[in-house]
Amino acid sequence: MNTPLDDELRKALRPVDPDEGFAERVMRRIDSTPAPLQRRPRWFPALPVALAASALLGTILIYAWHAEREQQRQGLEARRQLIEALHITGEKLDLAYRGVNGETRPPAPDDTGA
Amino acid sequence: MKGDEPRGAADSLDRARSGDRVAFATLVRSHQRVVYSLALRMLSHRHEAEDLAQEVFMQLHRSLAGIQSDTHLLFWLRKVTTNLAIDRLRRDRKRATLPLDDDPGIADEPLESDPLLQRRLRELLALLPADPRAVVVLRYQEDLDPTEIAETLEMSLNTVKSHLRRSIATLREGLADSSVTPLSRDSL
Amino acid sequence: MKTFTLKAIVALLLLASLPCERALAADGRLLLPDFSALEDKASEVVDVNLNTALLGLAARFLDDKSPDEVAVKQLVAGLTGIYVKSFAFDGDFAYPKADIEVVRKQLSVPGWQKLVEVRSRKEQTHVDVYLSLDGDKVNGLAILASEPRQFTIVNIVGSVDLRKLHQLEGRFGVPDLRLEGKPPTVK
Repeated sequence: MNTPLDDELRKALRPVDPDEGFAERVMRRIDSTPAPLQRRPRWFPALPVALAASALLGTILIYAWHAEREQQRQGLEARRQLIEALHITGEKLDLAYRGVNGETRPPAPDDTGA
Repeated sequence: MKGDEPRGAADSLDRARSGDRVAFATLVRSHQRVVYSLALRMLSHRHEAEDLAQEVFMQLHRSLAGIQSDTHLLFWLRKVTTNLAIDRLRRDRKRATLPLDDDPGIADEPLESDPLLQRRLRELLALLPADPRAVVVLRYQEDLDPTEIAETLEMSLNTVKSHLRRSIATLREGLADSSVTPLSRDSL
Repeated sequence: MKTFTLKAIVALLLLASLPCERALAADGRLLLPDFSALEDKASEVVDVNLNTALLGLAARFLDDKSPDEVAVKQLVAGLTGIYVKSFAFDGDFAYPKADIEVVRKQLSVPGWQKLVEVRSRKEQTHVDVYLSLDGDKVNGLAILASEPRQFTIVNIVGSVDLRKLHQLEGRFGVPDLRLEGKPPTVK
C-alpha cells in the first residue's frame, strides 16, 4: 500500500533525460579512448603444441644426455684399451730389446726362482 | 510496431556485439534515461551525472560480449551505475549537498505536484549515505522491489529492507523538520 | 686341356691374390685370425680393437695436463688403428702355432720389413718386430711375440712416428729399442 510519501518520492525521483546529444557524446568518448588490450584467453590455444614441444625437447635432452654418457663410457673404455695396448706393445718391445742386448728376462714378481 | 520493440532491442544488442556503432548508439539512446537518472539522483550533480553515465556506457561497450539479453542489459546498467556512483560518493564525501542550480526538473514538475516538496525530498535524499540512497533511488525511481534491489546491489534482502525503512523514516523526519541537517550513516 | 684349365685358374687366383696381399701390406693392417676358440682355453685374454673413430674418441679422453698422455695423444694422431691380441695360458704352448704362422705369413709379403727378430732357445721366446713401409714412410708396425705360456700380436696401423714411439720410452713400459737404427737379428 502506497503512502503519500511513497507517491511524492516517485514524483521527486521520476526519470529525467540527459542533455541533448548524450549518445553522440558517448560515441565520441568511445572513439577517442584507445581500445583496451585484448585480454589473453585463459586457455592458451597453443598449449597442446607447447606441451608437445616441451615433451619433444625433454626427450631430445634425455636422449642427448644418454648419448653423451654413452660416448663418455665408450671414450673411457677406448682410452683404457689404448693405454693397455701401449703397455703390451712396450712389454713386447722390451722383450725384443733385451733379446737384442742378450739380457735375460727379469724374474716375474711371483717367480721365486725355485 | 510496439510488438517489434523487444525484437528490435535484441537486434540492436546483437548488432552492437558484432561491432555495429549505429546499433550501439541506439542502445545508448534506449537506456540513457535510466542510467542518467540513476546517476543524477545518486550524485545530485548534472555534470557529474553525465560523466558517470558516459563512463557506464563506455564500460558497456567493452563488456558487450558478456551481455546476454536486453533484460540482462538493463540489470547490468542499473548495477554498474549504482556501484560506480556509490564508489564516487565514498571517494568524495564532500558531495553531500545538492547544488540548487543543478536541481533538475523543476520546470518539468507536473502541475499537480508540489515543486518545493519534490525539491526538499531530493535534498534530503542527497544527505543519505551512499548505500541507503541507492536503495531508495532503485525503489522509487526504477520501481524495483526489495528482492530486485538486493540482487542489483548484491546486498541481503534484510539489509535492503532495513535501509528502506530507516531512509523513509529519515526523509519523513526531514520533511517534518524545517531545517535540513546532514545525517550520518550511524544515524540510520 | 683339363690340366691347362686348372693351372690357368690357379694362376689367375695367384694373380688376383697378389694385389690383395700388397694392399694389405700397403696399409699396414693385418688380417688377424679368429681366436675366439682360444678364449675359453686362455687364462687371460687381451683383445684391443681401436679403429680410427675409437682412437679419436680415446684421444679426447687423454689428459692434456699429463706429459705422458700428451705424448700418447701425439703418437695416436697419425694412427688409423691399434689391434692387440694377447692370450696367456696356464700350461706351456697351449695355443696352436699355426694361427701365429698365418699372421707371420702376411708379414712375409713385400711392404713389410722385419726390424727385429729375437729367438731365445733358453726362454723359448720368439719376438719379431715388423714395419710396414710405403716408400720411405712407415704406415704400420707389427709385433709377434710367442712365449711358452703367452702369445701376443700387436698391429699398429697408420703413420707410426718412430720418434714419437721413442718418446714414450719409459712410459707405458716402452723401452728404447733404437727403432731408427739398423735392424739387428739375434738367434
